Amino acid sequence: MCGTNIAKMVDVEAVAGFVSDLPNVVLAKTYKYMCSNPGQEMIVQDIEEYHLNRIVVAACSPNMHERTFRSALRLAGLNQYLLEMANIREQCSWVHNDVKEATEKAKALVYAAICRVELHEPLESISVNMCPDVLVIGGGIAGMTAALEVADAGNKVHLVEKNDHLGGNLARVDLTAPYFYSARDLLKERITRINNHKNIKVHLESNLTRLTGFIGNFKATIQPSNGDPDASKKLSEVEIGNVVVCTGYKEFDASRIVHYGYGKLPNVITSFELEQMIRRGRIETKEGKVPRYVAIIHCVGSRSQEFHTYCSRVCCMTALKYAHEIKMANPGCYISDIYIDMHAFGKGHEDFYRKSSAAKTLFLMYEKDDRPVIHKAGPKDDCEMLIEVNEKLSGELIEIPADMVVLMIGMEAREDSHEIARIVNISQDKDGWFIESHPKLEPVATTTDGIFIAGTCVAPKDIPDTVAQARAAAARILARIAKEKIEVDALYSEVNEDLCSGCRFCNTLCPFSAIEFNEEKRKSHIISALCKGCGVCVAACPSSAIKGRHFTDQQVLAQVDALFGI
Amino acid sequence: MAIRVNPGFIDVLDRYGAEDVQLCYQCGDCSTVCPHADDVYKFPRKSMRLLQMGLEQKIETTLEPWLCYYCGQCSEQCPREADPGETMMSLRRWLISRYDFTGIASRFFRSRTTEVTAIIAVAILTGAFLIYYGFSRGNFSIYDGEGAFLSSSFIHKFDLTIGSVLLIFLVINALNMWYLTMVKGSPFPIPWWIYLKQIYQVPWHFFTQKRYYECEKKQEHPFYMPWFIHLGLMLGYVTMLILVMVFVEKLQAGPEIVWSVHIFGYLATIGLTAGTIYFIRSRLRKNYIQYKKSHGTDWVFIILLFLIVITGTGQHIFHRTGLNEWANVTYIAHLMCVVPWLLRMPFSKWAHLIYRPLAMYFAAIRKEAILRKDVQLRSNPVLVK
Repeated sequence: MCGTNIAKMVDVEAVAGFVSDLPNVVLAKTYKYMCSNPGQEMIVQDIEEYHLNRIVVAACSPNMHERTFRSALRLAGLNQYLLEMANIREQCSWVHNDVKEATEKAKALVYAAICRVELHEPLESISVNMCPDVLVIGGGIAGMTAALEVADAGNKVHLVEKNDHLGGNLARVDLTAPYFYSARDLLKERITRINNHKNIKVHLESNLTRLTGFIGNFKATIQPSNGDPDASKKLSEVEIGNVVVCTGYKEFDASRIVHYGYGKLPNVITSFELEQMIRRGRIETKEGKVPRYVAIIHCVGSRSQEFHTYCSRVCCMTALKYAHEIKMANPGCYISDIYIDMHAFGKGHEDFYRKSSAAKTLFLMYEKDDRPVIHKAGPKDDCEMLIEVNEKLSGELIEIPADMVVLMIGMEAREDSHEIARIVNISQDKDGWFIESHPKLEPVATTTDGIFIAGTCVAPKDIPDTVAQARAAAARILARIAKEKIEVDALYSEVNEDLCSGCRFCNTLCPFSAIEFNEEKRKSHIISALCKGCGVCVAACPSSAIKGRHFTDQQVLAQVDALFGI
Repeated sequence: MAIRVNPGFIDVLDRYGAEDVQLCYQCGDCSTVCPHADDVYKFPRKSMRLLQMGLEQKIETTLEPWLCYYCGQCSEQCPREADPGETMMSLRRWLISRYDFTGIASRFFRSRTTEVTAIIAVAILTGAFLIYYGFSRGNFSIYDGEGAFLSSSFIHKFDLTIGSVLLIFLVINALNMWYLTMVKGSPFPIPWWIYLKQIYQVPWHFFTQKRYYECEKKQEHPFYMPWFIHLGLMLGYVTMLILVMVFVEKLQAGPEIVWSVHIFGYLATIGLTAGTIYFIRSRLRKNYIQYKKSHGTDWVFIILLFLIVITGTGQHIFHRTGLNEWANVTYIAHLMCVVPWLLRMPFSKWAHLIYRPLAMYFAAIRKEAILRKDVQLRSNPVLVK
């Protein structure tokens, strides 16, 4: 009944009455919340009492509670695959408004489920060995954190970094917002530990060029990237069980926005260029003067229809950090902060925003698609440049004096990210960020088992979030290593080698690269640990040589026939 | 045409008392609670914004700061503690110095030392002049009549001279105010007959301070009565000014009490005494939000007025009780306070006595003109850009 979720639209008693008269049905019962503990106990008791050998639960989506009812079956000593769920909530009560018709549909769905479950076979999950070694791609803060976490637990880690040093983008930053921790301090400790760690092998100036195998049993090829002609000789192949992808981001190219004159006006600089100045210890214009007016423009490349629609998340607080740093270096300097919205969502961020207001930063708001325009100032003006903008909070068209303009450039996916995605077999969204297997509940896992993602290669994020993700990925991997074996769902497909003609259609179609071709036998073979049971190969095979376990043709057709035959 | 932002302006206004304005993030809570803000006059939010951005050219033409009577509800409501009430107060101080063509007001507001030094200097000069004049012309033990130390006819001329100087400054500054707010600040010329139609606003607001009363209605504290006290203080002050400028010869005569004149003097003294004590006490105790922050000029204003009341009352009592020498001493002290006070008028907080009713008048005119223009534009959609 699902409380009233189902019962208010479907006459469940009528469905139960209809079902109990069907052949092969021993018992049909209704209950208020079947997924509750008493509901499950009832199922267990009934199985034992009536010696039931197949169960149909007419309730919600199997996505929601299939696991729950499968465990009830296991508890009663029945194979868990002898269950079928008829979804009479999402596919019936929630989407209809006529009780009579909804009830008829529910009857049809339950009948179809009964016809299907009759053909279910008991299946057993398989288990494979788990190699405890881990490959981490990317030596930034995310990669280093994940590597240390896994290595500290006693496992071997291969850390692959493209550049000649560790640290990633964070190594280009001086202080961090909002507490002014030194980025160098954050990194130094980690880099030293990694270099001295007996369990971590760092591959600098290297790329992952090939990854084969499946969870627990990957083979990775690591190739040095320095145009050395002998590079192929230094090629190393390692065996690993899991992969963490932490390839990070690249900054937006500010010259793409013509309005800002980046590259033409000498004192229009990017946030990373200011960061370099701060690290050198002197904030000055190209002419070597101390700027009197500094303007900071937010959302450069972010939150716009033309470039990237997403928010880069770190720029607002970084901009406030710059306001503080510039003011500290030159107390006489006036800072204008030109923003769209102030995103101060994180811990300590709102206080930091307030502090920046108290430090007399002038905040000026512009409309999303009405960007400021930077002009060169005239000879009479006491500043280098004038920024014209429609200020939203006052409704005035204003010009802001500036001797230096800092562009808060956003983050974007690295241009080689699609290469990585292809090698490790994960997907990317429209902006090029790697896709997690569930945005809420599985933020670091991917649709390929054994491949994890963490940090800014998933989406823009700040240091605490990046570190949290890296540790989450490490924790997931460590939990699997601790089990030594990995259970694989019994829902995989099998090739009947007697029927396989070796046409290799299925090899290219498989979205999970789960099908390999045995050259000797000239037959295709499905790696059960990799197969997700999606059924593409089953449908494509011209010889009908592939069987999807738990989704056999007979089972599916019985269900379809029952739906239309009623 | 874009208006130039002046990020340094807040540093200037800081000296006038607007210390927290940059904390404002424009949520608009202040305008919501303000009993006086409306569709045409959007303050304090808009005023805060103009100030943050340093749009001097805009601020000098606004009337909004004068429409605020500082009840402090905005400052109580403000989620960022940006103190909009005090900001409006600071804007009034800045406007006073902006209307003042001599630049003296601006010096006084920005430096308490300059102001106090100037006051003491004028007081000493006045005292020295009166003592010299008194001893050369009269007898120290005579207060009034034949051979008086400071004869009332001389004082009358003296008062009128000071009054004329004061009046010249005031008229020029008020004209300046009119030009900035009504000519420069209006996007279109304002028809003359609206000026005539709204003229009643000046005496009405001057004598009732009706809008101050509207502020107060929302306060529930039983002893909260700034409107009543302020009105008493102001009426007492104006009465006394008229008595001094017109009837000083009758006022100084005695020792008999001339009830036809003195009754007004007594009433005025009650208003002034109660007012100055109430406001000094409030500023010391900081019991209401509008008294939490006192600018240097606020203290100078109220203390000097208090001294004038004390010395004025003193010389009157001494004269009536026959202590003529004491009466002359307190009289000199009284005038030593009055002269700097009067001369300081156009350059100080005191000027709001003139600017506020004028602002109410101008605001009513501008509002009517804007609404008329709106109606015109709506009936002629072609004219709308």
